[in-house]
Amino acid sequence: MDNKGSPQKAGSLLLLLLLVTNLFLCKSVASLPICPSGAVNCQVSLRELFDRAVILSHYIHNLSAEMFNEFDKRYAQGRGFITKAINSCHTSSLSTPEDKEQAQQIHHEVLLNLILRVLRSWNDPLYHLVTEVRSMQEAPDAILSRAIEIEEQNKRLLEGMEKIVGQVHPGIKENEVYSVWSGLPSLQMADEDTRLFAFYNLLHCLRRDSHKIDNYLKLLKCRIVYDSNC
Amino acid sequence: MDLWQLLLTLAVAGSSDAFSGSEDSSGKPKFTKCRSPELETFSCHWTDGVHHGLQSPGSIQLFYIRRSTQEWTQEWKECPDYVSAGENSCYFNSSYTSIWIPYCIKLTSNGGTVDQKCFSVEEIVQPDPPIGLNWTLLNISLTGIHADIQVRWEPPPNADVQKGWIVLEYELQYKEVNETQWKMMDPVLSTSVPVYSLRLDKEYEVRVRSRQRNSEKYGEFSEVLYVTLPQMSPFACEEDFQFPWFLIIIFGIFGLTVILFLLIFSKQQRIKMLILPPVPVPKIKGIDPDLLKEGKLEEVNTILAIHDNYKHEFYSDDSWVEFIELDIDDPDEKTEGSDTDRLLSNDHEKSLTILGAKDDDSGRTSCYEPDILETDFNASDMHDGTSEVAQPQRLKGEADLLCLDQKNQNYSPSNDAAPATQQPSVILAKENKPRPLIISGTESTHQTAHTQLSNPSSLANIDFYAQVSDITPAGSVVLSPGQKNKAGISQCDLHLEVVSPCPANVIMDNAYFCEADAKKCIVVAPHVEVESRVAPSFNQEDIYITTESLTTTAGRSGTAECVPSSEMPVPDYTSIHIVQSPQGLVLNATALPLPDKEFLSSCGYVSTDQLNKIMP
Repeated sequence: MDNKGSPQKAGSLLLLLLLVTNLFLCKSVASLPICPSGAVNCQVSLRELFDRAVILSHYIHNLSAEMFNEFDKRYAQGRGFITKAINSCHTSSLSTPEDKEQAQQIHHEVLLNLILRVLRSWNDPLYHLVTEVRSMQEAPDAILSRAIEIEEQNKRLLEGMEKIVGQVHPGIKENEVYSVWSGLPSLQMADEDTRLFAFYNLLHCLRRDSHKIDNYLKLLKCRIVYDSNC
Repeated sequence: MDLWQLLLTLAVAGSSDAFSGSEDSSGKPKFTKCRSPELETFSCHWTDGVHHGLQSPGSIQLFYIRRSTQEWTQEWKECPDYVSAGENSCYFNSSYTSIWIPYCIKLTSNGGTVDQKCFSVEEIVQPDPPIGLNWTLLNISLTGIHADIQVRWEPPPNADVQKGWIVLEYELQYKEVNETQWKMMDPVLSTSVPVYSLRLDKEYEVRVRSRQRNSEKYGEFSEVLYVTLPQMSPFACEEDFQFPWFLIIIFGIFGLTVILFLLIFSKQQRIKMLILPPVPVPKIKGIDPDLLKEGKLEEVNTILAIHDNYKHEFYSDDSWVEFIELDIDDPDEKTEGSDTDRLLSNDHEKSLTILGAKDDDSGRTSCYEPDILETDFNASDMHDGTSEVAQPQRLKGEADLLCLDQKNQNYSPSNDAAPATQQPSVILAKENKPRPLIISGTESTHQTAHTQLSNPSSLANIDFYAQVSDITPAGSVVLSPGQKNKAGISQCDLHLEVVSPCPANVIMDNAYFCEADAKKCIVVAPHVEVESRVAPSFNQEDIYITTESLTTTAGRSGTAECVPSSEMPVPDYTSIHIVQSPQGLVLNATALPLPDKEFLSSCGYVSTDQLNKIMP
């Protein structure tokens, strides 16, 4: 009897060992298959969707950087907006990865959802940004035009991301979670200094978040479409 | 704690200017730059300050703080690594680095803050230079002068481009070895780029630098790559050789210009004639061309009158002069009365006969075409004596005139009483010049004929010309009685120049003169407008007075060689101003008893205005 049990034990032990080593060896993210639906054009269309999403996110980040620079040059000089260290963005509450290791460890579905959340969080602020910039005296056209463009591109990126999620992660519809922006009152302050600082803050946050999204998407693209070999 | 942190930060910030370049007035240590090469680590560098030797090197410290989860909960921490990045630097490895998180660092010296800076890591990315530059020859141009190369490199090793964590773009610069200015190419995303049109006999230097795609700051340049292209083949085309077209053209033009000037200004007429032959100018023998340009009309006409074929020029100014010569052959007709009657004969056949529908063979058959004449007359009945109708009549008449001349010649001896030729001159205003030319041709023949005629015949009875007094609306021509003083005039010389002071009331500026006025001016029968000495007969019929002739006659001084006729010349000719309307031909009515015509009150010539009053 002992002879019968030992091979079984050995077998189960081996199996357990295999599982454990698999777990250890599996450094990369164990992920669900990319195209679970098995559609014919799934892989190809995913590549195109990601390419398009990366282009959009890159464009949005460029615009926000330019917009921030414009604002900085026009309004922030000499005002000592040294409060960069203090300002906080409304999207900070979303626990996004903060460096490469964290980003690599997170699952791509989670990351995709995070991206969606950030994008949704910016819908409202962008809308109000456009409105408030318009109402500024001598509304600077460089800033206004970019704000309008960013608002529109953000919506399109959101649509694209939802499509990607639909292909990668079909069926699972998460609650629309996003962080609420409450900076509108400060944008409408009568005091010019306070108002300008609120603008500065918002634009700085926008530049940062657009860079974040751009980076995440590039990372995801290389990982999903090119199998970590860009 | 939050408030305390806020106050501290504000105080620190107030004491120093974080990002703008403050001058190092007192030699304090300050940050020079903070840099992250791959978005995973970063390092900050500072200067030591002037008082380097005074202070102990270890007294300078760097503290940092980073905000996480919206709270400044942490204290200032000291730099984790003062060594890895070199002297006066602080290195933050990946565990200390968080992207998209604000950092603040401060530099302290002996406990006192000397400098402070705040930033986020993604803002300070400056990648390392690319490595592994190499080049390959793409192709050589056909001329063997230029070549294209492909330059390749590797991204900096610490940048994780493969996983897509950072995306880089590159800028290539190249120049010839002995040049100072680098040529820049546009940024590219790939790690290889072609460089075109390098010269084969030169050496080039190539360098590449990179930056994060969304940033503005470039990293350092890579090492310089030396590109030595293979030497040109000796059989290559000689470079830059062009046929010196420019020089040849310049010198050619110069030489030609010199030669031309020599020719033009040289004294050697023969060579000049050879190279630049003179252009023959129109010339008439015996006549000075200058006279033609500047001479007065009468002088010119005098000179040119020598030539037979110049008769018409006399009338060049009088473009309205037209001559119709009608052949009135029938001797019976003459006895009937005035020419008017003849012309106004009811039967057109009679007028036809008047126009010489004779059957005798005197050589007229060749030129006589009664049918055409008949049709012409028929046509003239249709219209109202328009000038256009008169013209074909005239043309036919002209053609007929030659025949008529012959007829005159034949019949002149026999027709004493009959007017051999009644040649009413119809002076039409505003006629084309060619017309007189044609007529002049005929006139010249007439003149020859007239000379013949004048001699034998008694001029009194012969009316070569009859003044057309009127043209009826029906189209018939009304002739005035023939001249009675022709005989007397015939002897007159052409040169008859009468100095007769014209009455003051003669209007000299009109083109036309009232014949009455003209009569006042000219005592003698005018020899107007014929300055040809060889045609005295031409004078006799011509009572037409023009301005020029009037002035001529008035201007010239001379004695009248002719006995002035006692009779006032009967106006044979009347000028007509307007020939436009169907009733256009309105002639001088002084020959006809039409006293009630008011427009003839003063002048036999009808002015345009007067005519307009009459005719609508």
